[in-house]
Amino acid sequence: MRILVVDDTEANRKLLAWMLEDDGHEVVEAINGKEAVELFKTSKPDLVLMDVMMPVMDGFEATKAIKEYLGGTHVPIIFLTALSDDASLTKCLSIGGDDFLSKPINEQVLQAKIKAHSRIKDLNEQLNRQNKELTRLHQFTLREHEIAQNVFESALAASILDSKNTRHYISPAATFNGDLLLVSISPSGGLYALMADFTGHGLPAAIGALPVSQAFLDAAQQGASVSSIARELNRTLEKFLPDDMFAAAAIAELNAEGTRLTLWLGGMPDALHTDSQGKLKQQIPSNHMPLGILEDDEFEREANIVEVSHGDRLYLYTDGIPESLNATGEMYGEARMLSHFDGSSSDPLTSLIESVNQFTGNKDQNDDITLLELSCKPVETSVIGDASVLNLELALPWTLRMQLGAEELKKPTSPVAQLVDMIGSAPGIESHKDYLHTILAELYSNALEHGILGLSSELKKTEDGYLEYYQQREEKLRQLENGMLDITVTFRVEGRKGFLSLQLDDSGCGFDAKHRNHSSDEDSFGRGIDLIETLCDKVSYSEGGTRVEAEYTIQT
Amino acid sequence: MPVESTLSSDGKTITIGISGRFDFEIVQEFRAAYGDKKDVSFIIDMRATEHMDSSALGMLLNMRKSLGDNAKIAIINCRPQIKKILTISRFDKKFDIE
Repeated sequence: MRILVVDDTEANRKLLAWMLEDDGHEVVEAINGKEAVELFKTSKPDLVLMDVMMPVMDGFEATKAIKEYLGGTHVPIIFLTALSDDASLTKCLSIGGDDFLSKPINEQVLQAKIKAHSRIKDLNEQLNRQNKELTRLHQFTLREHEIAQNVFESALAASILDSKNTRHYISPAATFNGDLLLVSISPSGGLYALMADFTGHGLPAAIGALPVSQAFLDAAQQGASVSSIARELNRTLEKFLPDDMFAAAAIAELNAEGTRLTLWLGGMPDALHTDSQGKLKQQIPSNHMPLGILEDDEFEREANIVEVSHGDRLYLYTDGIPESLNATGEMYGEARMLSHFDGSSSDPLTSLIESVNQFTGNKDQNDDITLLELSCKPVETSVIGDASVLNLELALPWTLRMQLGAEELKKPTSPVAQLVDMIGSAPGIESHKDYLHTILAELYSNALEHGILGLSSELKKTEDGYLEYYQQREEKLRQLENGMLDITVTFRVEGRKGFLSLQLDDSGCGFDAKHRNHSSDEDSFGRGIDLIETLCDKVSYSEGGTRVEAEYTIQT
Repeated sequence: MPVESTLSSDGKTITIGISGRFDFEIVQEFRAAYGDKKDVSFIIDMRATEHMDSSALGMLLNMRKSLGDNAKIAIINCRPQIKKILTISRFDKKFDIE
């Protein structure tokens, strides 16, 4: 240790120095309080032995100054004093000294005190280090929570929770919600809902929500069935979560007409199906294990199908509701919950939540609570945003041309898909892609099959002939040596309308457009032209039937 | 698999799901999905069907012809653009379109 010895009597200093250096300590000497303070700052000793009565500045003053300089860190100061009255000794300690030694100094006592104070100093330093580390970690965690919360909010923002068919209540027990609620529109105009309750709550529980919400929204966009979604989510959770973490889940799909519910329930409390007055029709129990437990090959994907009447409602909720505790530790329970669904309340969602909140009073919520009401009526989807709407005032005209010879026509690449992708990326046309795909596919098939390959629809009159037709198409295409299909797509704006003109020229023999027959309901062919004529405003043939022009109108 | 058919647990309904493009590329598979099956009703699930063209309309009509006018064939979960194609072609006369 490095020890600062402060004494105005040289003999005392030398004696102390001799004793201390003998024990292996390094000694720094100061002859008065003022010098002690200065030396303390430059030599940074581990312990100070301080005389009380000194000229210039006494030991009390010096001790005060050193302690002030030290702030929170601890360096023990032991007073060396010839004074023996209680008042003086008390003063030594009250102004910041840590101990005192009576003069003349006893070497054994001195050694013992130095050891004891060295231990205290070590403990103190350890405590300080840990304190600093804790503060640093705490700030780090806060920052991480902030970032995580941000990620969550953006990840879940894609979900349309406020659809006209749903109402919900969400109340997390901690900053992060271990319950997940997502609602998404299906491509066929129906509605999907996912409610998941991860084991535990807070951040660890919420972590699982990220991959699950992503997988759910992807599957919903693709229009997957409820049982496929369940399986996909199970696979995702199995992959991402540790073995002891899983999620109880309810996945529901309401068809576009609002007449049929498809449900997959795993480890959730009973779903409640009520009439339009909120009176219970049936309780639908979970018949599967929670997600994230079973391996993919043992996973049970069977879903319940419930035929519903318009006005019926479905209630999904997490166990946070029946398991809510009040101040005395009593559970809210299923009986209390079901009492809101006996027809006495036409709005069970509101009355249930009010009742639960009243029950728990001021007590901290013990689990995340989520409740969803799904109304069985035709699904209303409000298209949000007008990014896909064509701003005609700003639109520019363009032309796109694709020329395909025999070699290109043989490639398995679909020119229709490629063209539609290109056309669809032009401003304002995205939302028309599906119809354009149909129109272009029909025009392309006709030009290729009847024009270039010379196939006759007569073949399609029987079921076997239908197959034969497509076999011949394959065969003739494979043998094709000469041929040219020229596709030109032009976009122009006139007044308040945009027009897409599609022109296809083929190298075939053409046909007599004037005497084209319209198909009857029975015919399994010849419908393509009818489709085009309905979707387009103008369809015309020229050049002896080797050119077709169709015009599609885009209105804002 | 673009065409996936599943028999219900009571053995009375076959659901044929078609994903991606419904056109002549799957003419064989589609035919095999209903084939010579008798005394079952069919559901054609179009939830994952992105596009269909007139060859698909022809395939559906062939199915109707092959199974007879009394066979129950429902077409469900159509996206709006697919539904429009079926409506334009007056397919509601021959199929239950949901």
